[in-house]
Amino acid sequence: MELFDNLLMGLQTALELNNLGLCLIGVVIGTAIGVLPGIGPIPTIALLLPFTFGLTPAGSMIMLAGIFYGAQYGGSTTAILVNVPGETSSVVTCIDGHEMAKQGKAGTALAIAAIASFFAGTVATVIIAVLSVPLSVLALKFTAVEYFSLLVLGLIAAVVLAHGSVAKSLAMVLLGLLLGLIGIDVSSGAARMTFGVAELSDGIDFVPVAMGLFGLGEIIANLERPAERRVVSQSIRDLIPSRADLRAAFPAMVRGTLLGSVLGVLPGGGAALPPFSSYALEKKLAKDPSRFGKGAIEGVAGPEAANNAGAQTSFIPLLTLGIPANALMALMIGALMMQGIQPGPQIMTEQPKLVWGVIASMWVGNLMLLVINLPLIGLWVSMLKIPYRLLFPAIVLFCCIGTYGIANSLFNVWLMLACAGIGYFFIKVGVEPAPLLLGLVLGPQLEENFRRAMLLSEGDFSVFLSRPISAVLLTVVAVLLLALLSPTILRTRKEALAE
Amino acid sequence: MTRSRIAWQDLLFGLFLVAVAAAALIATRHLVVGNAADMGPGYMPRVVSFGLLGFGLFFCARGARRAGPAIVPVQIRPLLAVLGAVGVFALTAERLGLAIASVVTVILAGFATREGRLRETVPFALLLSCAAAILFIKVLALPVPLWPR
Repeated sequence: MELFDNLLMGLQTALELNNLGLCLIGVVIGTAIGVLPGIGPIPTIALLLPFTFGLTPAGSMIMLAGIFYGAQYGGSTTAILVNVPGETSSVVTCIDGHEMAKQGKAGTALAIAAIASFFAGTVATVIIAVLSVPLSVLALKFTAVEYFSLLVLGLIAAVVLAHGSVAKSLAMVLLGLLLGLIGIDVSSGAARMTFGVAELSDGIDFVPVAMGLFGLGEIIANLERPAERRVVSQSIRDLIPSRADLRAAFPAMVRGTLLGSVLGVLPGGGAALPPFSSYALEKKLAKDPSRFGKGAIEGVAGPEAANNAGAQTSFIPLLTLGIPANALMALMIGALMMQGIQPGPQIMTEQPKLVWGVIASMWVGNLMLLVINLPLIGLWVSMLKIPYRLLFPAIVLFCCIGTYGIANSLFNVWLMLACAGIGYFFIKVGVEPAPLLLGLVLGPQLEENFRRAMLLSEGDFSVFLSRPISAVLLTVVAVLLLALLSPTILRTRKEALAE
Repeated sequence: MTRSRIAWQDLLFGLFLVAVAAAALIATRHLVVGNAADMGPGYMPRVVSFGLLGFGLFFCARGARRAGPAIVPVQIRPLLAVLGAVGVFALTAERLGLAIASVVTVILAGFATREGRLRETVPFALLLSCAAAILFIKVLALPVPLWPR
């Protein structure tokens, strides 16, 4: 049983005392940022990257992964108690979760959310483990040609499945690719678009870009909206749901988990799409759909399971093929690169301890989350009382010091300043910045593999279609793009994302 | 949301893309392009820039021809305060040291909202500055001066 051996090896890594500690730190930070609206996991992970320099690659991935799925747990707390999504993925939980809280069932809603998340997390961990082996076998057949096609598929799919206008997202990917080309060209030594700035010769650091676009740009836009947070003031009791509640919630949990796992693997899905789809599904299946929006327990259990399952399975493309499914995974790739690990299809065979350690740590982390979420709920609620007017100056300061600390370069601080301005501009003109980050991180690899593939085929573009794996990947790209031209699919996509 | 006769969001984004593409094309005009079998350093930048230019022109045309949602007015206060705080940090961190730069940055950022009260922000800034000094200089050994040199 290769799977068992692998999981056992992973557990050994995950249960090392250091890694346990890092996992705990990760999930606690994740819960905290999940609870606090106005800071997302992307700037947080960017902010914490300098801290991971001294850690082992496995340790840093375990901590960063913990932040991501921890945020999914925390986000539901704010959604239920304040009716504000702490995380984009918990937008749907607001609908019925907050309604339950108003009816005095906040404890039940929080407990169901945590239990659903834990259940989904456990199942998703197993799914990751099972899927990883065949995928890594496939990945070994990859050459530059296949890897290029895979990168193209990753980028296009991420755009198609994400929020917002597809044309604008495609433009943002190109913009990211262009930024990724800045620096000294490795094969010729020519300086490209450095405008004579010495700091640009190594290329643009993605951390200041991520912090500026996602962290500071978002803060400025947030400050324009008057903040209003009303915590449902009631003592939270009855944290143990009744048998009837569990019976009502369980089927929704299972469906949400499966749906989330499938959607999470798809590039671009991450944690945003699954909860919406799960909510729509539960409403469709319900005997009495009118209960939804009035505190239906399935409306909390399904989406919460879906978002946690999706958050975890979105690691599959990263851990097996080395391509990121969304902007957050792009940051993870960045973290690996800073550790000197070149992500790619060989990652599983070359770094088995790292990959299986991260997979096993997810289950460990989910267990920790269950424990820190239910009994400590009061602590998290009190965190909600920190006013935004104190929160955001602290974030601004830590972003500054963090970006500076990555390379001890004030240039990065200026770069972050520029990106903050651009990020604000993007919000104003209604474009999502996530595809840009994907393009920026994948750009150098895309160019390198394209060049290598073309060199091998002596400039013959048909090589991408004559090799079977590559041809299949590119066919999927073509189908995705064609599907976008069909009005019915466009409409469904709009409905699914805008519920 | 009010609508305007021109889709300003599309138009401005398009203009932005055109400007970026133009800058990239000018910056890479001297680089060797080569051909597909033997790409020069200018090959990919050229391909990507023309792609961007195409998208930019498309959005400009689309924006000018159809109506769209109006852009929410820009509020100067948060924009200037947050960007200013980052700028001040960049200017002061190495000269005045982390301790002073942190205090100034937090206080300036606090001006981004009208809710901020100096009586509250100043002690909070001092507190954060201590926390930052302990965390980044003591724990993480960041080579940045704590005090002015």
